[in-house]
Amino acid sequence: MSDNQEIKSPILELKNLTVNFPVKGGLPFTPKKWIQAVSDVSLQIESGETFGIVGESGCGKSTIGNAMVGMVRPTSGSVIFKGSNLNTLSRSEFKETRRHMQMIFQDPYSSLNPRFTVYQIISEPLYIQGGATKEQMTERVVELLKLVGLSEKDLYRYPSDFSGGQRQRIGIARAIILNPDFLICDEPVSALDVSVHAQILNLLMELQDKLKITYVFISHNLAVVKNICEHMVVMYLGKVMESGTTEAIYNNPKHPYTKALISAVLDIDLEHSQKRILLKGDIPSPINPPKGCRFWQRCPYAMKGCIDHPAEMVEIEPNHFVACHLVSGFSIEDKTAGLNCPIEEEHVLKHNDEKKQSN
Amino acid sequence: MSDLMLKLRNLKVIFPNEIGILKAVEGIDLDIHRGECVAVVGESGCGKSVTALAIMKLLNSPPALMRVDELQLDGEELKDYSDTKMQEIRGKQIAMIFQDAMTALNPVMTIGNQIDEVYLRHSKMTKKKAREATITVLRLVGVPEPESRANNFPHQLSGGMRQRVLIAMAFATMPKLIIADEPTTALDVTIQAQVLNVLNDMQKKHQMSLLLITHDLSVVANMADMVYVMYCGKVVEKGTVKQLFTNPHHPYTVGLLASVPKLSDTHHHFVQIPDCVPHPMFKPAGCYFHPRCTHAIDICSKEMPPLVSVEDGRQIRCWNCLNQMKGGK
Repeated sequence: MSDNQEIKSPILELKNLTVNFPVKGGLPFTPKKWIQAVSDVSLQIESGETFGIVGESGCGKSTIGNAMVGMVRPTSGSVIFKGSNLNTLSRSEFKETRRHMQMIFQDPYSSLNPRFTVYQIISEPLYIQGGATKEQMTERVVELLKLVGLSEKDLYRYPSDFSGGQRQRIGIARAIILNPDFLICDEPVSALDVSVHAQILNLLMELQDKLKITYVFISHNLAVVKNICEHMVVMYLGKVMESGTTEAIYNNPKHPYTKALISAVLDIDLEHSQKRILLKGDIPSPINPPKGCRFWQRCPYAMKGCIDHPAEMVEIEPNHFVACHLVSGFSIEDKTAGLNCPIEEEHVLKHNDEKKQSN
Repeated sequence: MSDLMLKLRNLKVIFPNEIGILKAVEGIDLDIHRGECVAVVGESGCGKSVTALAIMKLLNSPPALMRVDELQLDGEELKDYSDTKMQEIRGKQIAMIFQDAMTALNPVMTIGNQIDEVYLRHSKMTKKKAREATITVLRLVGVPEPESRANNFPHQLSGGMRQRVLIAMAFATMPKLIIADEPTTALDVTIQAQVLNVLNDMQKKHQMSLLLITHDLSVVANMADMVYVMYCGKVVEKGTVKQLFTNPHHPYTVGLLASVPKLSDTHHHFVQIPDCVPHPMFKPAGCYFHPRCTHAIDICSKEMPPLVSVEDGRQIRCWNCLNQMKGGK
């Protein structure tokens, strides 16, 4: 398995990607605060696959997507697309590379310019690239409209004339007009009606078959990700909790967060309803994330060691990585120090006090 | 006093405008019994939120025009009540949980003061007593440290906490009926599970009636007893959760259920309903669903099928099902 991996070169690679955003405001002469949106994420995306990024809101999945296409500059670490590091490229080289990576946005109501006609929206990437005559552009736009299930007569209508699903189709046409190799779908269906979900997902799958595009699929809907992705990562508060093949993660989730996330998906199947794992509390703020494992405050199995020691990624089976002390265990010295004991109430209180003081 | 908490007969809501008349809701009957959770399911634009607002009589007129044959809450006819009289009902006997907690809460008032208002308005308590009651109800919905939380402003709380505050506000006076309009749509999955649990517990414990408005079928499967499926302002199918989810009849219900991705799926193709919901101004003739229906027959494009009762309390609006029933008999 792992040999096979090395032969296949990844189309995109993240190496220890960290993205921090400064927090605006605050008192003068106080230290500047940072939101740690993504911290130390490494992953590889193979050519032609669909790669899923799953997590709750605020876990940094959209930031990763933006960093992949260079819309956000990493604080540290690198994004390597087809062997070239996006951050060291010159402006013109970057522009050239960007042609091969496109994006589909979540909200088709705000991502299309309401004053542009469909023709203007879809042809804009071609226009910016230059070199095509008006006739060529029209021909190409019509071809794409048909590909995404719209017709030629929609060419000079405005986005407001279309329903949500149709608008998303326009967004897809705009994303694929330059024949990209790499497409980031940032929650492409979550703003749409249930009956339209399937249409858009099927369209995306069809296009992948026809055009051999690599997808990064960012979503919070685990059922969708399970059905279309080959590999996936589960994120929490800017860190990867579990990564590997979709099959391995769904059949054999190891991280307590992944387990809770999968069990929280409500199913419409009345007969096979399983017991839900309810997590306590909310996601902590990314401004001051927990020092050790980011999940310990909500984790039902948290141990003393989880509070201060971040968990390392370990490979538990081929192509299945987990960052959790439960799986990796503690070293003998740590065990004698009692790090593998369950957390007591006083620990939590002490931690909260420290946190209040530091704030 | 009967077992029937809400009786709604032939509710119609229209929005007249320059181009014509937008018929948002076209004759809906709704029954909610004591302690029952009824779900109204449908896609955006099918009139489910308008129905909820109409029951509360919160629709502004103009632009909306509402007509109803019967609107009874626990035997009390609300149809002709004036606005001032409705104010006594709202919050005390019917309460509503809104979708977006950030916009439903007042950003410049602490949440404690906002919940206090409910008590001060409806049960003539002193301010001190009201605050005590507020803290009790906040604890009931699982807000940690309610004494200090009550002094927080909405922006200091997380999304799930805010939704809990809204639930607390709705349950404050222990109303007879609670209307929850998409209570978990804005929340994350793990938080959604928490909030639904709270809602379910509270409803079951206090034997209240709950009208759940949602587009999320999985929420319905886990919460409701009775389901109404709406399409373009009309009820197309009604039945218990078990009837609908195990044996859906109407093609729209069938399609809707099939198009929900499931964790147990193994295929890479999603079942889809062709086309999209028609604009409420331009609904097709005949059965509203026929242009998208794979089983449409001639009559479907000419005449709207009636809503017919099938076995025990189940109702359906479809020519095909009607014909099958006749054939069966």
